[in-house]
Amino acid sequence: MRQLNIKIARHRRPWQNFLAKQGISGFAPSELMPVTATFAWYEEDQMVATGSLAGSTIKYVAIAPDYQEGGRTFNQVVSYLINQAATAGHFHLMVFTKPQYVQSFSYVGFHLLAQSTYGAVLETGTPDINDYRHCLPQFNGEMRSRIGAVVINANPFTRGHLALVKRASAECSGVYVFVVSEDRSLFTTDERRQLVAAGTKELTNVRVVPGGDYMVSSTTFPAYFLKDQDTVVHYQAQLDADLFKRQIAQPLGIKRRYLGQEPFSATTAIYNQELNSVLPPAVEVKIIPRAQNAAGDVISATKVRQMIADGDVDHLSMMVPPSTQQFIVENLPALQQRISERKHQA
Amino acid sequence: MKIKQTAMAGTLESSDIQITLSDGQGVNVDLDSSVKALYGDEIIRVIKETLKEYDITDVQVKAVDKGALNCTIKARTMAAAQRALGTADQPKWEAF
Repeated sequence: MRQLNIKIARHRRPWQNFLAKQGISGFAPSELMPVTATFAWYEEDQMVATGSLAGSTIKYVAIAPDYQEGGRTFNQVVSYLINQAATAGHFHLMVFTKPQYVQSFSYVGFHLLAQSTYGAVLETGTPDINDYRHCLPQFNGEMRSRIGAVVINANPFTRGHLALVKRASAECSGVYVFVVSEDRSLFTTDERRQLVAAGTKELTNVRVVPGGDYMVSSTTFPAYFLKDQDTVVHYQAQLDADLFKRQIAQPLGIKRRYLGQEPFSATTAIYNQELNSVLPPAVEVKIIPRAQNAAGDVISATKVRQMIADGDVDHLSMMVPPSTQQFIVENLPALQQRISERKHQA
Repeated sequence: MKIKQTAMAGTLESSDIQITLSDGQGVNVDLDSSVKALYGDEIIRVIKETLKEYDITDVQVKAVDKGALNCTIKARTMAAAQRALGTADQPKWEAF
């Protein structure tokens, strides 16, 4: 067994060829970049198995056909990856894979979280989905009668998000606002969650909670095992919808999910469409038109980030609630610094 | 006694068992095994007994069994326990 550095072409090429032979062909930079460690097993100098870790996600597992019998090599590979992840401090692991491999991963202790036509997601270790649900606040008594949910990234929290949450708050007995936890945005996870909490403070039936590992934004689902890039968006949306329905909505008693209408993005339009086909009848889907500000402009977090980059703080109040505005004004230099660092990286 | 950190020992290869210990209330064993119906109670008994030797009273145990014998279950549980307590460099010989 050897560890490979796939950032080096000399290591990457034979590895990529091996995977391609096993039917894995997704090698986009967005899939390769997050990979933290890659291991390969050899028999007489021929690669017979490989597996990779991307933080706490298992990726690029493939076994040569002659070594698949009985799952012995597969178990060896997965077991090695789990131990390596544990050494790095990751005791909770997820894997995104083709539906036909669900069984193999179940044999080594993984539990199915969600499944779609194109792929499935499984997890193992602690803390798992049960621990996550256990940490969420519960609605009791009268507040349980109609529970709604909103999932937002809130980068940062705008008047548009506020309008969406207010609408849910008015129409439901209790509302969960899940803030996506992935730390890839201009505003950090903590900042985003605090701004959502501050902006919705007066809505007493609203609970702002972290999305954990289970509200994955559309950009982060690994899709390297899919051949056709057109199916990627559908796969990610279906998986996200099924995960929400099975693991979040049903156990928590959520009856409605509120979505913001997205007139400018084809991806989000597909996303909303898939949610609409997977969630009902168990969970009703409400698509709310985009809020406009006093000047008639559509409110968007993208515009807010542009205003931060331009230092245009005078017009912020049209776009964001006072709590978000105050945060931006107080932290303007630091935020602009982050924007310029991102540009350099890209 | 509670454990100090999450820890793991063992592999998923045939005749082995993988034990993960993490923070918990009371001793709780979550067992995955193809022979659970036949030997599940015995596997859990060996794990619990071994943890008792380390005075661990609050822990969440995740065990993925691949047909391990009792001696293997005990050895893996001991290794995980010592790692979880941060005493891996001072083997507790009496536990054998």
